[in-house]
Amino acid sequence: MKQDKVLEVENIIKVYGKGGNRTEALKGISFDVLSGEFLGIMGPSGSGKTTLLNSIATMIKVTSGKIRLKGEDISSFKGRELSDYRGKKIGYLFQEFELLDNLTARENIILPLSLHGITGREAEPALKKLAWHFGIEDELDKFPSQMSGGQKQRTAAARALIGNPSIVLADEPTGALDSKNSKVLMDCLAAINEEEARTIVMVTHDANAASYCSRILFIQDGRLFHELRRDVKTETTDEFYERIVTVLSQLGGGSANVL
Amino acid sequence: MFFSQMKRNAAKNRKNNGLFFGSLVIAVVAFYTLLSMDKQDVMRFLKTVESDAVSRLLRLIPVVYAVSLFFVFFLVYFSYHYQLNERRREFGMYLMLGMKRSKLFVMLMGETLLNSVISIVIGIPSALFLTEAISLITVKLAGLGIIGHEITWSFAAVIETAAGFAAVQLFAMMILSVKLARTEPAQLLKPDTPDTQSIISVKKSRKSFAVGCILLIAAYMMGVLALDSLDVLIVLLILISGTAGTFLFYRGAGAVIGRRIQKKGAEKSGLYTFTGRQIQENVLCQYKTLAVSSLLLLIALSCISYGIGTVVSSQANTEKTTDFSIQDGAEGKDVLKILGSPECGKYISDYYPVFLNMIDAEVHEVSVDGLKEAVRTLKNVKDKDMQENIVEYIDTNEGYEYVIALSSYNHIRKAAGKDEIILGEHEAGFFTSGREYPERMDVYRSALKNGAYIEVDGQKYKIREEIYCENVVADRQITLDKAFIIPDEMYQKIAADSHVPFCYNAVLRPEVAGKEGYMQSIQKASEFLKANGLEYESYLSGIGRRLFYAVAGSYITIYLGFLFMIIANTSVALKYLMQQQANRKRCRTLLMLGADISDICASSAKQIRLFSGMLLAVAAVSSVFAVWSMFNGFMRLPEGASAKDVFLLTGAAFCIFIATQMIYVMIIERAGRKEIYRLSER
Repeated sequence: MKQDKVLEVENIIKVYGKGGNRTEALKGISFDVLSGEFLGIMGPSGSGKTTLLNSIATMIKVTSGKIRLKGEDISSFKGRELSDYRGKKIGYLFQEFELLDNLTARENIILPLSLHGITGREAEPALKKLAWHFGIEDELDKFPSQMSGGQKQRTAAARALIGNPSIVLADEPTGALDSKNSKVLMDCLAAINEEEARTIVMVTHDANAASYCSRILFIQDGRLFHELRRDVKTETTDEFYERIVTVLSQLGGGSANVL
Repeated sequence: MFFSQMKRNAAKNRKNNGLFFGSLVIAVVAFYTLLSMDKQDVMRFLKTVESDAVSRLLRLIPVVYAVSLFFVFFLVYFSYHYQLNERRREFGMYLMLGMKRSKLFVMLMGETLLNSVISIVIGIPSALFLTEAISLITVKLAGLGIIGHEITWSFAAVIETAAGFAAVQLFAMMILSVKLARTEPAQLLKPDTPDTQSIISVKKSRKSFAVGCILLIAAYMMGVLALDSLDVLIVLLILISGTAGTFLFYRGAGAVIGRRIQKKGAEKSGLYTFTGRQIQENVLCQYKTLAVSSLLLLIALSCISYGIGTVVSSQANTEKTTDFSIQDGAEGKDVLKILGSPECGKYISDYYPVFLNMIDAEVHEVSVDGLKEAVRTLKNVKDKDMQENIVEYIDTNEGYEYVIALSSYNHIRKAAGKDEIILGEHEAGFFTSGREYPERMDVYRSALKNGAYIEVDGQKYKIREEIYCENVVADRQITLDKAFIIPDEMYQKIAADSHVPFCYNAVLRPEVAGKEGYMQSIQKASEFLKANGLEYESYLSGIGRRLFYAVAGSYITIYLGFLFMIIANTSVALKYLMQQQANRKRCRTLLMLGADISDICASSAKQIRLFSGMLLAVAAVSSVFAVWSMFNGFMRLPEGASAKDVFLLTGAAFCIFIATQMIYVMIIERAGRKEIYRLSER
């Protein structure tokens, strides 16, 4: 079965600074993300993975190249188009959760919807379902300061998903969590990816978190450098984890050492 | 290099904190205005006529200055706290790069000093300009408009202003720098986190809101109903319940907003909930600032209203009926001769004798029982004590009542621009100089409508219903609780020494006054009268006394009022900016979640408007009751002073408050918008 391409990244280059200060963060990266895929992006610090994710999220503008979401070029978006893209077509999961700490969990989750004219009452069914999925039903009327880190990140995940976006972008979602909470979050994300065929692109350092993905892109020095695929049906996450760790251990030594 | 960096930093501070810098300049202006008071026209003039009272007033100025410095200190402290917070990372970096703490301290103090000097350099010339304007306005307000004007500046005031101002700034900065120097660099480098809402239970805050409202209402009612007794206990109760009420009101207001959001939020979309929560948070975190500022605004408005009341009252008494009252001594004929001389005519355009004296009670039988009875039988009198007092003392003169000849009094009326009185047969007019005792006037006025009469030699004379209170002489040295205006023939018949006038009133030639200014011309005329050996009193000393009360009462209260207002507004604005500073991250998140920039800007504008609206609303309601209590209670306006004027002017002052607040709101709004656009740049 041929899957649809949700995201097409075509030869993107991002240059910071000018003249002598010129730094190329991305040196021409191309890849596609298929519908229902759980894609991981890994790489050492400074490799350009967050720049890549932020480019897709429209947080930064690429210097050249094209990013298409369902065939639409996002780099040309401005004003209302841009906010619609951010609010409706993508969901973003931050490392530091970025919940608005003066809003309750409920208000935080439905915020992307209410920003696009949907009232709290209308959003209620979707909210209930996600709250159940992420196990935060009892936390809905709490403020972030009253929740644990894990609960906060699951709230943030529910917020990223409520608008039914074409793609969820996650930037080190387990970065601020302990291992137990990381596992709970990844289980939830993997389940929603599997059950509802939601497309997720996740940048991570954490091999454990990455082992939930169906495909991993490794980036080094702004270039795509390696790719791992998991056959979800036959390969367990533990086995995939082993392979990831092997690639990571060789990453430091340069491309010559890699399979 | 160190110095140039300091200069650069100071310039950056001024640019980034324009609002605060502007307030500092205003503070300088206010300080100089206060301190240079003894050099201002009005004061110079008052010194010549009321030197004792003026020197007492001037002795009060250092105290007022100290009070203002005290308040300004807090303003400065808050502001520097905010500014240093903004620069925490910068300081952390300096320290990590090996800058000595002492050098950092010197740098901060240097920046402060530099900015103080600049505020002073801008502030003093503005202050000179303002004091000139005030001199002219005060003179005009006091109804003179004629005192010779002289441009002055006070070197001592400049020095004192600069010293006090710089001291307050440096002291505030010193405390903060010491605190800063004690903080570890790692702590400084960490980003600043916003004050998140402290979670007080909804029940508790709802309770505090309700109690706050009750206490406020109680304070209002006590103020309106019971303040006139000026009982210490009542005053204390009003103060305590009003202050506590304001604090509790704001403390609980957050919960009420929260409840509204929960109730309405489900039906709303867009940034409704976010905006509501932001306001709730601002109120919850800043309720103390809100309460203090609201109270300061209340004090400010009360001060200004009091000041306006004093000016209006004193103006009511400045009605001029004559410029000179010349004693008719033993050489009575000389007076007429001198006044009639052509040389005198240069100064004096008109003169007339004032016939005022007691009734010769040895010869004539006089009874005021008719008046007494009219007072005694009054019902529904507001001030019962006053009624009893009048009844008790009304006949202590034992018949030696004062009478004024009708023609003399009509002369006086004419000078004041009023119609002549025409007395009917067996009719008399009632005169009193007790205009500033409105309660007494009220009782008399009602009594006259109650059929009051006076009896002379068995003949009843009905007293007209209107009370007459035009000044009989130039300076109100004589106070007559009551006198009766009677026809000239009757005066000649019953008054003691009826052919000798009480004094001669003389009116200054208007052309001369117009040409040379009132003060000069009245002084010249005085010199002439003195040179001719006449004893006189002039309107000048009357002006002096009245003006003194106006200036003493209004100047300082209005000054303090405006200073309080600036402090209240600036501190609220600063606190708000501090809170907003911590909001950048939220704004970024909102943008990421797809919020429209214009929606965020609108939300931010709504937040500040509602926030300042909450401040003004409480201050406004409290002020209405405060002003009402004040003029209803201890500060009754005298007869002839228009309560409408006072309220209108107070309303105008409040409009100035609102306008000032709007300027602050606009500045904050613009800063917020700029920040949002900056954040949205990719």
